[in-house]
Amino acid sequence: MGVAGDARARVSSGPHLEAGPWRQTFARRALPYALIAPALLVIVAVLGYPLVNLVWISTQKYGFRELIQHQGVFIGLQNFATILTDPQFLYVIRISLIFTAVNVGLSMLLATLIALLLERVSRPVRILLSAGLVFVWATPVIPAVNLWQWMFDYEFGVVNWLLTRIGAGDYIHHNWFENPVQGFAVITIIVVWGAIPFLALTLYAGLTQVPRELVEAAQIDGARPWQVFTNVTLPIVRPLFIILFSLSTIWDFGVFNQVWVLLNQRPNKDYFLIAVYSFQESFRVSKYGLGAASAVVMVAILAVVSIFYIRETIRLTNEELR
Amino acid sequence: MNPRKLLFTVATAFALVAAACGGSPSSNNTGNETGTLTVWLMNGSAPQSVIDGVNTDFKAKHPNVTVNVEIQQWSDVTTKLDTAFTGSTPPDVMELGNTLVAKYAAAGALQDISSKKGSFQNSGTWLQSLTDSCTYQSKLYCIPYYAGSRAIIYRTDLFAGAGVQVPTSMDDLMTVGQKLMAKYGSDSRFSALYFPGKYWYAAAPFVWDFGGDIATQSGSKWQGSINSDKSQQGLTQLKTLVSALSRADKTGDEAKQDQAFAQGHIAMIIANGWEVGVITDPKSGDPSLLPKLGAFPIPSHNPGQTAPVFLGGSDLGISAKSQHQALAQEWVGLLGGTKFQTQMVTAGGVIPNTTTLTSLSSGLPAIFASAAKTSRFTPNSPNWASVESANVLQDMLVSIFTGKSTIPAATSTASDKITQILNG
Repeated sequence: MGVAGDARARVSSGPHLEAGPWRQTFARRALPYALIAPALLVIVAVLGYPLVNLVWISTQKYGFRELIQHQGVFIGLQNFATILTDPQFLYVIRISLIFTAVNVGLSMLLATLIALLLERVSRPVRILLSAGLVFVWATPVIPAVNLWQWMFDYEFGVVNWLLTRIGAGDYIHHNWFENPVQGFAVITIIVVWGAIPFLALTLYAGLTQVPRELVEAAQIDGARPWQVFTNVTLPIVRPLFIILFSLSTIWDFGVFNQVWVLLNQRPNKDYFLIAVYSFQESFRVSKYGLGAASAVVMVAILAVVSIFYIRETIRLTNEELR
Repeated sequence: MNPRKLLFTVATAFALVAAACGGSPSSNNTGNETGTLTVWLMNGSAPQSVIDGVNTDFKAKHPNVTVNVEIQQWSDVTTKLDTAFTGSTPPDVMELGNTLVAKYAAAGALQDISSKKGSFQNSGTWLQSLTDSCTYQSKLYCIPYYAGSRAIIYRTDLFAGAGVQVPTSMDDLMTVGQKLMAKYGSDSRFSALYFPGKYWYAAAPFVWDFGGDIATQSGSKWQGSINSDKSQQGLTQLKTLVSALSRADKTGDEAKQDQAFAQGHIAMIIANGWEVGVITDPKSGDPSLLPKLGAFPIPSHNPGQTAPVFLGGSDLGISAKSQHQALAQEWVGLLGGTKFQTQMVTAGGVIPNTTTLTSLSSGLPAIFASAAKTSRFTPNSPNWASVESANVLQDMLVSIFTGKSTIPAATSTASDKITQILNG
């Protein structure tokens, strides 16, 4: 409980600080800021500058001609007005939100189940399982998606061959991407497959921190496994869940590579998630202003998720203080 | 300043001026330039032997210049070009698809070489449509490189087996295809005419043949016309053909059609002349197919005529920011000149950039060259490249073939989008 201890010390030393000479107080108060200043500088340079630039471009008419001349034309909020009244963009937002909800839900659920499994299996099996998870995690996205692409290929895919072979129906020349629901199912499989290792291993690490005696005590009191999980395990690993939930949301809302590579860099409009849409508008159609505006909308939506996450974290910290 | 120092300064100045002149076209025989000339060529355009030949001849004259030829892929080249032109050191020379030139010329990315036109070999007999694609507001921004047009490649043995002849009209094409399907269709992978859903450049001839078009220009305004009655007639005809004769991926593109053809379950594909080489490639294809391949132009709905085809091709541009203008012009001149254009025809099977060499085509390439006689081009607008990269027409075809929208609905959506982008 290091954080809580520090906080209490700070609270109790507060009045003492007020009593000191002004100069000394100032020096003491400035010290923390001086200490975080270098980190802050790096963050501003690496994250702040591009973000400000993005917002700036989103307020300009910025096409290919402007790009070459490094000079856009300021048009205020017109780009936002254009995309927010464009039915295609509204469809993109809706699809992205649904896609994110399904993918975050599935990957968190499966990762939790795998983490619980990891905790229960014998040591050799656990090592084997973890190694498998690490291999998946270590596979770079692009080659991985290429492999999946071949498996679901219309002409030569092993999935169609296998499904036909085991008698699931005639899947010769079955097109997985003709119907967007099926297409998104394939994309979901790939995204969830890629997300599980990190989530499962992190959750497993969290679960090992749950004191054994608490679980045993609950079991002796007659709690069923589900009750043990919801009443004992879950409250302890809850902060970890919130962090993983927020990170997953951010990752899944920004899914790009899987769609782009899987659909040969020419996805049709049904498959435009918000990141794909933004890239298409910017770098394919050369309307950088519109692309930047849609990226700003994307950042804004994610900011809402982050605010939720930060509020939860603050609430938890306060609970600990009490 | 003492006289000696002054003399030195003047001498230095002269040396600098002389050095500066070294890069100008007036003295390109000096042979002592140094540096690196970066060239971007597209995948599949020039056979390696031709590239090596050009570099050898170029090296003989400029032994201290390194030529760096990088091969780019069509699927993402616009993004790469956009990025390169934005930076301060884009490639010196680049091959540009003829539909892309207007975009880069209009943005000021390409060097105006109007005054040098006469110094290029055969510039008087360049293919008109390629020269047009290089011309923006009456100025020349690139030189023609090669042309290509599509025709139908077919398997003579399968045709003989089904007892059918080369079709002479679109209806005949349907009849021939149906006979092929009847004979070989029990093989669930067989397609009489393999037509991937996004293959826009193979669909365009059907639109043009019925008198339709992609967009029309009046004054400075463009109006999409892919939804006109005539365009829709062409697309209806195509849809009938595709549903009856093709088992290709309705949402796929043509990138893998040659490999698919080489697998032996396809009787006809609509393809460029150079794709014969991909089909019979020992590594990716099947060389034993070569004697069984034939070609014929896409037949018109008017019996005995052929449908207009898209005249594809590439041009060679020099970037405005290049530090080696004279060297770049010389390299481009070699690849576009008689010696290497001859090799492009004989080894590459393409249509050369000059009418004086077209008679060199023989065998299958000659059929492709003849198909190009009735050819059409896409709207010549700087914004056309965006229509291509936004996949407007590809998406329209996919909606039509998969039955997700009706032809009137799909074409009307596409037409609005085209109007919007072209006037953007």
